[in-house]
Amino acid sequence: MPELPDNVPYAIRTYSPERLRDAFLKMHLIRKFEEGAENSYTRGLIHGTMHLSIGQEASAVGACMSLTDEDKITSTHRGHGHCVAKGADVEKMFAEFFGKETGYCKGRGGSMHIADPSKGNLGANGIVGGGLPIAVGAALSAKRLGTGAVTVCFFGDGANNEGAFHEALNMAAVWKLPVVFVCENNKYGMSTSIERSTAVKRISDRAAAYAMPGVTVDGNDFSAVTEAVDQAVAHARAGEGPGLVETLTYRWRGHSKSDRNRYRTKEEIADWQSRDPIVAMARLLVDHHIVSEDEIAAVEAEATTIIENAIAAASAAPDPKVEEATRDVYTALILDEGTPA
Amino acid sequence: MPVEVIMPKVDMDMASGKIMSWHVAVGQPVAKGDPLFDIETDKAAMEVESPADGMLYHPAPEGTEIQIGQPCAWLYAEGEEVGDQPAAFGAAAAEPAPPPEPVAAVEPVRELAFTAEPALEKPRATPRARRLASEAGRDLTSFVGTGPRGRVQADDVLQALAPAPSAGFTAETGPLSITRSKGGEGTPIVLIHGFASDATSWAPLETHLRHRPVIRIDLPSHGKSPKLRIRCFADLVKEVRAAVDDLHLDAAHLVGHSLGGAVALALADTRPRKIASLTLIAPGGLGPEIDGAALTGLCNATRVESLAPWLRRLAADESLITDGYARLAMASRNDPALRHAQAALADVLFPDGTQAFDLRAALDRVDMPTRIIWGKRDAIIPWSHALRAPGKVALHLFDGLGHMPQIEAPDEVGKIIRSLV
Amino acid sequence: MNAQTETNSRELTYSEAIREAMDIALGNDERVILMGEDIGVYGGAFGVTGDLVEKYGTDRVMDTPISELGGAGVAVGAALTGLRPIFEFQFSDFATLGMEQIVNQAAKLRFMLGGAVSVPVVMRFPAGSGTGAAAQHSQSLEAWTAHVPGLKVVQPSTPEDAKGLLLAALEDPDPVMIYEHKLLYKMKGPVPAGHYTTPIGKAAIRREGRDVSIVATAIMVHKALEAAETLAREGIDAEVIDLRTIRPIDRDTVLASVRKTGRLICVYEGVKTLGVGAEVSAMVAESDAFDFLDAPIVRLGGAECPIPYNPQLEKAVVPQVPDILDAARGLTKGRI
Ligand SMILES: Cc1ncc(C[n+]2csc(CCOP(=O)(O)OP(=O)(O)O)c2C)c(N)n1
Ligand SMILES: [Mg+2]
Repeated sequence: MPELPDNVPYAIRTYSPERLRDAFLKMHLIRKFEEGAENSYTRGLIHGTMHLSIGQEASAVGACMSLTDEDKITSTHRGHGHCVAKGADVEKMFAEFFGKETGYCKGRGGSMHIADPSKGNLGANGIVGGGLPIAVGAALSAKRLGTGAVTVCFFGDGANNEGAFHEALNMAAVWKLPVVFVCENNKYGMSTSIERSTAVKRISDRAAAYAMPGVTVDGNDFSAVTEAVDQAVAHARAGEGPGLVETLTYRWRGHSKSDRNRYRTKEEIADWQSRDPIVAMARLLVDHHIVSEDEIAAVEAEATTIIENAIAAASAAPDPKVEEATRDVYTALILDEGTPA
Repeated sequence: MPVEVIMPKVDMDMASGKIMSWHVAVGQPVAKGDPLFDIETDKAAMEVESPADGMLYHPAPEGTEIQIGQPCAWLYAEGEEVGDQPAAFGAAAAEPAPPPEPVAAVEPVRELAFTAEPALEKPRATPRARRLASEAGRDLTSFVGTGPRGRVQADDVLQALAPAPSAGFTAETGPLSITRSKGGEGTPIVLIHGFASDATSWAPLETHLRHRPVIRIDLPSHGKSPKLRIRCFADLVKEVRAAVDDLHLDAAHLVGHSLGGAVALALADTRPRKIASLTLIAPGGLGPEIDGAALTGLCNATRVESLAPWLRRLAADESLITDGYARLAMASRNDPALRHAQAALADVLFPDGTQAFDLRAALDRVDMPTRIIWGKRDAIIPWSHALRAPGKVALHLFDGLGHMPQIEAPDEVGKIIRSLV
Repeated sequence: MNAQTETNSRELTYSEAIREAMDIALGNDERVILMGEDIGVYGGAFGVTGDLVEKYGTDRVMDTPISELGGAGVAVGAALTGLRPIFEFQFSDFATLGMEQIVNQAAKLRFMLGGAVSVPVVMRFPAGSGTGAAAQHSQSLEAWTAHVPGLKVVQPSTPEDAKGLLLAALEDPDPVMIYEHKLLYKMKGPVPAGHYTTPIGKAAIRREGRDVSIVATAIMVHKALEAAETLAREGIDAEVIDLRTIRPIDRDTVLASVRKTGRLICVYEGVKTLGVGAEVSAMVAESDAFDFLDAPIVRLGGAECPIPYNPQLEKAVVPQVPDILDAARGLTKGRI
C-alpha cells in the first residue's frame, strides 16, 4: 500500500478498504445485535438481564483491528461488542442469548458469558474485574510457549477499583507480559461516576504506578482507538511488556434494563448521542473515499439482514435437555457425590 | 400501519407493569425517544420513551396493568387514518400464572432397585424399630421387615407386638363418616363421640348448640364410618386428623366425649392454630384407670338384655336408661363385624382394662381456651383424673352426674359450651 | 412478639421490611451507616435501600467504589472502632471477593485478641437463583460463611423475620451475615410496626405435623409449605421447620421434631453436598433423636453444578415442590 501523508488518520493509512468496510459492518452488527436483543428482552422473550454497549462500538472494534485469531481477548459483562469485533457468529450469539443448545455456551451461560475460544475470545465475565488476572495468565502462556500471541484485556472504569486490577497490572509489568489493558471508560460503574469512585482523574494515570505506558484516547473515534491499541499491541508483541489504553466513551442505555438513569441527566445522554461513533466512522470512510454514501446505507442494510436472519434461526434452535444440566461441570464425568445412598 | 407501543420489560422478574400516566394527550404528536408514559412495576416507577414518531391513539387507561411485551397504545403517522383500536390491551391477569414446573428434576429421589447382596449378619432395621424391639425385649430377627430390602420399620414391630385380632371383621378403608347440622353461623363446632357410641348420641346436646354449624365425626369402626384396622392410639388420631383436615376449616371449636375427648385433645395438640376452643367431657388419656369390664360388656353384648346393664353404668341416674333407649342402642350395634371391630379397638387402646395412652403432657401444652366437664359419679373413668389439669384449664365438676353429662344434663353442658363458643 | 405489636402489623414486601429495619436503625442510632455499591441514588440493585439516601444523606448511606474486599474490610474496621455498619454486597456472589475480610478478619479478630474487641458488623447478601442471571449471579453460598466460627448466619424467609433478624443483627456484638433470597424481595407478609427483634439462633415451626419433618431454609420454606398442603390431602402430615439461622443452628427444635415424626427431609437451595443438609442430618445422627428415625434421611439440595442460564435448566437444578412431594411420599410409604 502506498504511504499516505501523516494528516490522514491512522486507520486510513494502515488498513485496506476491505478491512475498514468490514470494521464498519461490525460496528453496525454490534448496534443491531443489541437493538435486537433489547427488543426481544422488552417483549419478555428473554429472562435474566443484559448490558448493552450501544454507543461504545468504536472502542470494541478499533481495539481488535490488529489482532489475529491466535491473539486473545478477555471481555466483560458488557461484552457483545468485543465478541462481534473478535469475529463471533451473531447467530450463535443470539442462540446463547435465547438459552439454546446451539448457542456459544449451549444455553448455559447467556448474555453475560458468551465466549468463542476458537477465535481467541476467552469470554465475557459476570464479575467486574474478573478478566484482568485471566488476561495476564493468557499472556504468561503466550510468553512461556512462545506463541507470539498478545492478549487484549477489556474492562470498565468501575473495574479499576478492584484489587484484581492492581494486582494484575503489577504482575504483567514485573514479568513483562504481552498484554494490553483496554479500559473502556464510559464515566460510570453502574450509577457511580468515576469522580465519586476513583481517586485519579484519568485511569491511564494508574499505568505509572506499574511502570507501563498509559494513554487516554477518544473512544468514539475509531482511528484514535486503533492507533493507540495497535501501538500497545506492537509493543507487547515485541516483548516490551504491557500497556494501558483508556478509551473515553459512553453507554447510551442504562446499566441494565432496570436502570432508571437517576444519576445522570438527559442532556448528558443527548450530548453523547450526538457523538455517535458509527456516524463518525461513516464520515471518516466517506471523507477518505473508502466507501461511497450509497454504500454506507448498503452496509447498514446488510447488517440488518444478517441480524434478522440470525434472530430467526436462533429462535428456532432447540433448547438444551434438562437431563444434561450437570454436564460439563468436570472434564470427565466423576462419581456424583450427591446421589442418595 | 400504526406502531404498537408495548409494555416494556424493565426488570429481571417483571411479568407486568401498571400505566401510571401518559405524557402525551390522545391525538397529540410525540417524537421517538421522547418520554411517552410512566409505568410502575412492583420495584419502581419508570419513564418509558416513545418507540417511534407519531400521534398517540388508543392509550390504555391509566392504572391498567399490562403484561410485558403486550400493546398499551398505538402511534399513527401524520395523515394515517385512525380506526378502531387495532387489538386488545394485554391486560395482566390478576394472578400471574405460576411458572410451569420443570419437566424432571435433575436428581429425583430414586426408588432404589433391589440388588442381590450377601446375607447380612444383622437384620436391616430402622433405629426406631430397633428401639421398640429392644424395649419389648424382643430379638430383631423375630420381625418381618416390609421396608425396602426387607428393612424392619417401626410399624412392623408395632404390628407384631400388638397383633390386631383379625377374626370377626374384615378391615375396610375409606374416609370417616361426617354429618352436619343445618343452620348456624360462625366458627363450627366439631363433635367427637366416645367409645361404642356414635354421632347420633349428640342429639340432646345439639338442641343447645343451634347457633353454630355443627359437624359430627364417627370414629373408625363406629356409626357409619368404615371398620379400620387401628394399631395404636396414634393411628386412631391420624384418621380423625385426616378427616378434620379434609374439612378445610379455618377454625373449629372441638368437643369430645370420653375416647372422643382423648382424640380431641391429641388433635388440638397437633393443630393448635386451627382449634379455637376445646371442650373435653369425661375424657380419656389423663390417667390409667378405666372400667375394662364395662368396655368388654358393651362390645360383647348381642342383645338388649346383656347391653342394658352396662349402659346403666354410664349414667348416674339409672332411670335415664329406659328400655326403649337400650333397644335403640342395641339396634345400632346389630352388626357383628362392628362389635368385633370395636373389640379389637378396645384391645389396642385399653389392653387389660388400662388406658394405654397418656395425654397429660398434651393437656399441659395446649393453649386454646380449654375446659373439662365431668360427673363425679362417673363409673367408667374416675373423675379425679380431671384434677391433673393445669391451672389454665377450666373444670366443671357435677356432683350428680355420671360418665355422660351431655346426655344426663344437656342443658347444663350446653350452657357451658355456649358461654365460650 | 407480643400482642401489642401484632395489632400494629401491616402488609409489607420483604424488601420494604428490610428497608424499614434500616430506616429505624439509622433513625435510632447515629453509629449506624449503610455501605455498598449503588445503594445511594440507584437505591440498590434490588431496590432494597430505596430512597434512604434522601433521608440520611450520602455520609450515612455510602456508595462504595466497586471494591468488595476493601469495602467489606472498611466496614469491619469501622465496626471494630465504634460504628455499626450494614454492608450490602450487590449480589452474594461478589462476597467471594470480600471473603478475606469476612473469614480472616471479622470472624476471628475477637478470638485472636483474646476477647478484647468485638466486630458488630452486619452484612447483607442477596442470594439464590431464579432470575436468569446465570452462574456468577445466582449462587447460594451461605454454607461457606456458616462454616466459619465467629460468624453468625441467618436466612430470613418472611418479611417479618427479615426485619426482625436485621434489627437483632444490629444489636448483636458479633458479625452477622444475612442471606436474602432474591425471589423473596417482592413477597408480601405482615410486618409489625416499630422496633422489634427476631431471635438469632431460633428456628420457627411453620406447620406442625406428625409424619415427616421437613427442615428448610429461605425460599425452600415456602416450597415445603406448599408441598405439605398437598401431602395433607393424601393423609401425610408434614411438619415444616424454617431454620432461619444456620449458625448457630437450633438443634433442639430439629431434634424434637425428628423424635416426633421419625422422618427427616432437609431442603435447601445451596449445592446438596457438604451443605446445610449435611449438618442437620449429622446433628440427628449424632443425637438421641437417631433412635427415633424410622427411615433414612433425605437431603434435597441444589444439583452438583453451577446455575445454568436456560430457564428450564435453571429450575431443574434446584429443589422444587414435586421433589419434596416425591421424597415425603417415598419416606412415609416405606419406599426410601
Ligand atoms: C465483583 C463484582 N462487583 C459488582 C458487580 C456488579 N456490577 C456489574 S457491572 C457493574 C458496573 C461495572 O462498571 P464498569 O466496570 O465501569 O463497566 P460498565 O458497566 O460501565 O461497562 C457492577 C457494579 C459485579 N458484576 N462484580
Ligand atoms: Mg463504566
